[in-house]
Amino acid sequence: MDNILEVRDLNISLLENNSTIVKDVSFDVGRGKVLGIIGESGSGKTLTCKAMLKLLNEKVFGVRGKVKLNGADILNMDDKQSRAFIGKDISMIMQNPMTAFDPMMKVGNHIVETLKAHTSLSKKQAYAVGMRVLEKMNLQRVAEIMNSYPHTLSGGMLQRVMIAIALMLKPRVIVADEATTALDVKNQAIILDEFQKMRDSGIGLLVVTHDFGVIGKVADEVLVMKGGEIIERGTVHQIFYNPRTEYTKELLEARFLVDEVNYA
Amino acid sequence: MLGYISNRIMGLIIVLIGVTVLAFIFSNISSVDPAEAFARRNILNPTPEQIEEIREEMGLNLPVYRQYFNWLQGVLRGELGTSLLTRNPVRVDLAEKIPATLSIVGLASFWIIIITVPLSVLSAVNKDSFFDHTLRIVTTFGISIPNFWLGFILLVAFAIMLPIFSVVDYGSLKSLILPSLTIAIPMASSSIRLLRATILENMKKDFVTYAKARGISKNKIIWQHVLKNSLPPMITVFCQYLGYMIAGSAIVEAVFSWPGIGSHLVSAIIARDLPTINGCLLIIAVIFVFFNLLADILNSAINPKMLSEAGEV
Repeated sequence: MDNILEVRDLNISLLENNSTIVKDVSFDVGRGKVLGIIGESGSGKTLTCKAMLKLLNEKVFGVRGKVKLNGADILNMDDKQSRAFIGKDISMIMQNPMTAFDPMMKVGNHIVETLKAHTSLSKKQAYAVGMRVLEKMNLQRVAEIMNSYPHTLSGGMLQRVMIAIALMLKPRVIVADEATTALDVKNQAIILDEFQKMRDSGIGLLVVTHDFGVIGKVADEVLVMKGGEIIERGTVHQIFYNPRTEYTKELLEARFLVDEVNYA
Repeated sequence: MLGYISNRIMGLIIVLIGVTVLAFIFSNISSVDPAEAFARRNILNPTPEQIEEIREEMGLNLPVYRQYFNWLQGVLRGELGTSLLTRNPVRVDLAEKIPATLSIVGLASFWIIIITVPLSVLSAVNKDSFFDHTLRIVTTFGISIPNFWLGFILLVAFAIMLPIFSVVDYGSLKSLILPSLTIAIPMASSSIRLLRATILENMKKDFVTYAKARGISKNKIIWQHVLKNSLPPMITVFCQYLGYMIAGSAIVEAVFSWPGIGSHLVSAIIARDLPTINGCLLIIAVIFVFFNLLADILNSAINPKMLSEAGEV
């Protein structure tokens, strides 16, 4: 089994009162596999993602455990070393595209800046690469997008830009934290389609969501989180048709309720 | 952008008219009669007839609104009247005094910027460190210290005890240092507070998390993303400071015997020199208003979102 991402005994605590908020989380993501993490808000799924990419404030959170990317434990490296991996081998698609971009920086410069952090490309070359990766995302009028400030683009467009940025350095793993939540149905479908393509190209994908619909469409395996712990894991089929815990059943039922309301 | 600026300029002209009208009304409410004050200064024991004559000559017998319109006509022609004290055209006096004040304010602005930016960044990045706490205490002092007291202390320390500077000095670059620091220290202290708080607030924003997730280095995130996003409130406040520094230069100019517009205004007020008072107020109001406009233009230039929120673009 070739796992490209191995998370072992990830524990997150609040330094302030030493309380554990994520406990003993372990999982693997294989090449071309999609792992879904599902749970209600406050279940610790977003914290888990952020901890993996060392995005949590060290003065507030204590993080222990191992996050191995192709065998290299990025969690316990010093920041300078791990920065070479973060954004390149493991990249992230954030929840809210409208606030994830620096409002005072043009979209193109976000791309250039990211490329320059990880490669030796010149600014001009990086800009050209940026145009190409946006074109690959089926975005129209790429030059215009590169030269736009984030607030002038729609959420769906920005989310595709973010995916382009996540993909452009040929990552092994992509973490998508509620990447479809802020989008309308049409844009959701486009993003889910992109997830399929990533998976086909051999990227390991970690999809964090509270939406079983998303999980059902893309995931191979599912973790259910509650109160900072993994309470159930299995294939999508097992979780959907044979949930073992009451909590998972409730989550599933809640989802059907929502659907009924939507179709009523 | 141009529409936005011309709108702002229209608003500013209204502000200027308001300021000058108020100045006229207040100097008329005052119980001292400028004609009498002028007569007593120039004629030994003036008779009531002589005072009346002077009043008519100066146009002070006219109703206030006529006086105002006469003055305004002059202003539009570039004439601010003749000083009762120096007998020079007010315009000439002001042109002579303003450069002295501007040179202090210019150097003070330079201090404010080079003190505020690095210290705020360092203290925000090392929040709750020893440096941060020390800086908080120092800036609290800086904000609370009155200007004139700080000026005296600096004079005692650096002109008397350590005679690096002269007590009364005017003209050289060296002579600018103490007065400009006196103005800059309190303002830098409060702007450090503001910029530090804004930086800390911006460090919590999503775009910082995303920049980290893209592997951007800490230094780049702070200097290129966080600092830039923290500048707009700083620019607004700084441009207001520029106005305050010029309007409030009188105290510091008095301490350092500096022949600027502030001390000129104070002596004009003492001498009831109405044309000079009105001229000074007009100049100060114009400078104030100009820097406010400048703040808006700078902000909309660096922050594209501001213009689109104002309905432009």
